[in-house]
Amino acid sequence: MMKAEKHFFLISANAGLYQGFKDVYPEAQWTVFERGRGAIELIFNNPPDLLIVDSRLPDLGGTELIRIFKSENVYRQVPVIICLDREDIGPDLNLTEVEVDDFVMKPLDPDLTRIRLDLVMARASWELDASPLTKLPGNTSIIHKIQDMMDRKNDFALAYADLDNFKSYNDKYGFSRGDEVLMMTARIIVNTIRAFAGIESFVGHIGGDDFVFMVPPDQAENVCQILIRNFDGIVPNFYDQEDRDQGYIRSTDRQGNILDFPMMSISVAVVFNIDGELTHYGQASEIAMNLKKLAKQKSGSAYVLDRRKTA
Amino acid sequence: MEDLYTQNKDRILSVRDLPTLPSVLDQVTELVQDPSSSTDQVAKVISQDQVLSAKVLKMVNSPIYGFPRRISTIQHALVLLGFNVVRGLIISTSVFDIMAKSMMGLWEHSLGCAMACAGIARQAGFKDPEEYSVAGLLHDLGKVVSAVQLPEVKDEVDAAVREKDLSYYQAEKEVMGFSHDRINAWLSDHWNLPLRLREGLVWHHRPKSAQHYPDVACVVHLGDFMARVFQVGSSGDDQISYLDGHIFKVLKLKQSNLEKVMDELDREFAELSGFRPDQD
Repeated sequence: MMKAEKHFFLISANAGLYQGFKDVYPEAQWTVFERGRGAIELIFNNPPDLLIVDSRLPDLGGTELIRIFKSENVYRQVPVIICLDREDIGPDLNLTEVEVDDFVMKPLDPDLTRIRLDLVMARASWELDASPLTKLPGNTSIIHKIQDMMDRKNDFALAYADLDNFKSYNDKYGFSRGDEVLMMTARIIVNTIRAFAGIESFVGHIGGDDFVFMVPPDQAENVCQILIRNFDGIVPNFYDQEDRDQGYIRSTDRQGNILDFPMMSISVAVVFNIDGELTHYGQASEIAMNLKKLAKQKSGSAYVLDRRKTA
Repeated sequence: MEDLYTQNKDRILSVRDLPTLPSVLDQVTELVQDPSSSTDQVAKVISQDQVLSAKVLKMVNSPIYGFPRRISTIQHALVLLGFNVVRGLIISTSVFDIMAKSMMGLWEHSLGCAMACAGIARQAGFKDPEEYSVAGLLHDLGKVVSAVQLPEVKDEVDAAVREKDLSYYQAEKEVMGFSHDRINAWLSDHWNLPLRLREGLVWHHRPKSAQHYPDVACVVHLGDFMARVFQVGSSGDDQISYLDGHIFKVLKLKQSNLEKVMDELDREFAELSGFRPDQD
């Protein structure tokens, strides 16, 4: 997944510092700005893979520049390192306020600096695509994983799981308790699959109450059954006692009708890729969406397997 | 008095690692390493150890996992934590041999109480008898913790039990100014244990005071009594606890309903007596 060449920006009027970084990381493409103001536009238009800012800039403070950059949510994922002088270090220095990802000290220690830079880059890539809530891989990783398995013509079962009646739960109990349920679901999926020792698996979080997981085809049905049993056993704990006892949530819709929503359940649709039958990610998701309608028609938790080929 | 109270509370809550009993530890380690074992099997073994159970529940209800105070059974906790975490917990567990000896009777008593609670809950027609069983298992956790954290106090309590013919509960009050039910309250809050569980741990001596979930407190109260009647293990004294008749109303049970529970328990306790945690 590594791009051939990383683009690093250094903002510093210190020529020696630039030479030091270039010696440490010669394979990166370096762009250097002596002044902060001139750099801002380019940073916003063409954000680098890594931004390094000297704390001593001639025109505006290094921390000020970083703060401007990081205050934009779309740039927050770009790792930023600040270069400090010995004199900067003191009780008044608080780098958490500027949301800088790491710091290096002048003069540069080549070995330490290399390790630091590698680590900051790696950390950014780990965090980039993960769901902030469940920390599971997100869409980019999911699509990449599935396409990769198809390209290598590996057999797999791909399951799409989502929750029934999640919205009514969220409406009644609020977002933070809705998030508890999503975290619980993520943990159950991950651990249910892990309990099958030695199987190769993948779990991702598409977003909201949609999850995917991938297991060997011969394990799919078993995993679905245990997943449903685990989910149905635990989900009542997330309701208040009263709702738990009656077994449903009662609420009023916009027309003023009183509606009862059953407890949350999980629906799983499983698509198989055997002997390289599928070639594109879109095929898998399309089949899955149709299957999911079948799973949703059943009341309570249910799974549907794509049987087209197995018959 | 207030200073001593605060000081003791601080010392009790400074508990980092609760000791656990070696044989349960070995069994769980073995099961966790065996790819064919199920969470049900692991949960069953962990449920025999009040300290390891408390750790598992504490961890699953900690803010890290994002569902504080929701999980009250070991089985559910294991599904949510996964074997990796359980394995880590076990590795991090320090085993105190002294504890295994000094709390030997308490361990059996707790296990007996857990069994009794499950039986009572089933008889009363409650859902999730496992949950009541966990409350029974952990009901004397405060005694374990105070014995570890305040060993010199435990000696004094033991002496008071012997010399003044007090119950352990009364002796704790006399020596410390509070008893293990109070410690249970601190631990429940400190560890984010579910409210239902907390009620069982905190009010098992005074079930009338349980405001939110009197059912759990009453089941544990009765379970504790039964474990004592059957003389399973020892909870620190050799007295039969006071049985509050209030519980029969809450549980909607008659004394005659309990005969069936007692017959079953008789069989289960016989099985239990063959099991010793210090055996190799």
